[in-house]
Formats: sequence, C-alpha cells, structure tokens
Amino acid sequence: MTPDEKIRERIIAFVDGELAPAERARFEAELAADPALAASVARHRALVARVGAAYAPVLDEAIPPQLLAVAAAANDRVFRPRVGRLAPWAAIAASLVVGVIAGRLALPEQGPLVARDGALVARGQLASALSTELAAEPGVVKVGLTLKTPDGRYCRTFQSAADHLAGLACRQDGRWVALTATAWTQSANPAYRTAGSDIPPEVLAAVDGLAGQPLDAAAERAARDRGWR
Amino acid sequence: MHGLQRQIVELLPRLRRLARVLARDPVDADDLVQATVERALIHQDQWRPGTRLDSWMFRIMKNAWIDESRARNRRGRVFAPEEQGEAIGLDGAAAMENRLAAADVEKAMARLPDEQRLAVALVLVDGLSYREAAEVLEVPQGTLTSRLVRGRMALMADLEGDAA
Repeated sequence: MTPDEKIRERIIAFVDGELAPAERARFEAELAADPALAASVARHRALVARVGAAYAPVLDEAIPPQLLAVAAAANDRVFRPRVGRLAPWAAIAASLVVGVIAGRLALPEQGPLVARDGALVARGQLASALSTELAAEPGVVKVGLTLKTPDGRYCRTFQSAADHLAGLACRQDGRWVALTATAWTQSANPAYRTAGSDIPPEVLAAVDGLAGQPLDAAAERAARDRGWR
Repeated sequence: MHGLQRQIVELLPRLRRLARVLARDPVDADDLVQATVERALIHQDQWRPGTRLDSWMFRIMKNAWIDESRARNRRGRVFAPEEQGEAIGLDGAAAMENRLAAADVEKAMARLPDEQRLAVALVLVDGLSYREAAEVLEVPQGTLTSRLVRGRMALMADLEGDAA
C-alpha cells in the first residue's frame, strides 16, 4: 500500500465512523493541526452527503403493488393446495368485471358473493376474512394487498382456496363490494407458488386501476382495528 | 402477518434504494428487487431467524445483479440511456436543482465498476458498517476498504468539477 492509499483509507474510515476510539482521537489531533487534511475530510464528507441525498427520495416512493404482492406471497406454503373441479358459481364469475353487470346476473344466493342492489357483495367466510384477516394470515381465504383509494375507501385483494376464487373488494357502506372476481386455483406445485404470480393478473390490473396507496403491515392492522372506517 | 413476510415488506424501501444505485433505470431496479425477493423466498430455509435479514437479502441482490450483469454483457446491452434517469417530473426550481444534482451523482455512479459501486452503495447510501458490507459482498474487509477508496476517488474526480 502506498502512503497515499494509507492516508486515504484513514480519512474514509474517520468519515465513516470506523476508527477505534484511540485512533480517532489521534486522527482528530492531526486534523486540528493540518489544514490540508481538514480540507480532504471536508471533501469526503461532502461526497457522502451528496451521494446519500441523491438516493434518499427512493425511500419515500410508493412501493409498486407488484412488489408488495411478491413479498406477500412469503407465506404461501402454509396453504394446502386443493386442486379439483371449479365450484359451479366460480365458472359463472370467471373473469367478469362484476361491478358493471352484476345487477343483471342471476347469481346463486349461496357462495361467497351475492348480488345486492346492483353490486356483488361478499358474504360468509369471505366477508369475515376481508374484515378481520391481515395479509397472508393462514386460512381458507387469504388476503393479499390492502390499499387506500384517493377517495378514502379501503380495498383488499383476496384468494379463496375453498371457493376457487380471487378478486378485489372495496369497503362500502359497511359491506365488501367486489370490483373484480375471477376463477382461481391454488397452484399445486410449490415451485410455482413462490412469487406474487399467485395473484391473478386481472386482479393486479384492477389494483393498478384503483390508483390506491398500498398499506404496510402497521397501517393495515390499524385500519382493521378501526373497522375499515 | 407473519415474521419473514413483514420483515421483507419493511425492507422493500431499502432494497429499492440499493437496486436503484445498481441498476439506475427505475424499471430495471424494481425488476432486480423482484428477482431478489423471489430468490429469497425460494431459499427462505437458508435464512436463520435471529440473524440479519437485510444483510442476507442484500447479498442475494448482489448475486442477482452480478448474474444479470453477466447476462447483459453477453447480450451486448449497455446501461439504460442517460436521459432516462433525468426524464422525471420536475416541479419548482429547488426540485429541479435537487434532481439535476442527483442525476450527476447517478451518472458518476454508473461509470464505476460494479464492485466499487456495490461497496459505495452499501456504505455511503445504506450506511452499513465495513464489517457488514464486507459480509454482504463476501470479501475481506481490506478488499472492501480498497474498493471504497477507489470508488470515492473516482466519484470526486467526476463530480467536483461541477460542484466547485
């Protein structure tokens, strides 16, 4: 190591707070007596501040829903996949954008979604999961993402292994109204269940369409504890 | 929400920031974060609860980035065009100044060799200690400090012309 490199390593170790206390004291004494050294330290400090400031805004950016979905898949293994026939009503609900035409569909009164006043409303197990479950808690119904829309409503994605159904529902007048529902089957092979690919693309598209702000774990819990108001 | 999942979600802002240093283009950076999270989930058995999740995931990101860099070099693709880093909505003179200063830093960082940029990213941007950063990079601490010195000297040479 050349003397130049040696002194540079000492300078950056000082600036980064990596000198042991005794070395630090010795360096500070040299610093007080050596204006050129002090100028070098100032340049290095300015660089650290400038580089840090350049990337700091990234921390405050909204996390893209797709990334949250990937992370939210961390607990997929707790789900026991149930692969089989689709429930008959799930075939009816498959891939339709329900809000628009729900009033004209003769949907059965059983099942997780029922038509009420022109909207598809979650009931039973699905409704209670949407109201009480936090993201990816184990259960027959899994909640993925929770978002707050610009007009202040809470919306949540869900996947129901028992009902072979996935979708997006928003809290409205004390009920969960489905915006989108689609047939969904838990992938049987764990290798394919590691990522957010578990949330169907049409549901993710509906999430994007909401322009909502994804909630982190603490905000999600707080919203639930307030009854989604 | 369960432990590992919550911790990964809480780490996402820092993972995105590190990825932005490495990949620069925001879309490429989020692809890198996604690849990192997916790898981490596939290998979640290898993470020991009680150890640092951030160091473990940064190491995964480092490896994913190196793999991606090799693939990119094979394809002959270079960095995203420089303008892309600057084509971000500007509002007000102060915001524009900050944005331009940041763009200069991003350009200077993009010119560093990968190994120096990684060292600078972990210590200057994320604030890891030398010991932690050396662990993430899987190199001796002396190697880390020498990369830090070389990376910083190159950044200064690049940036101080316009900062004076």
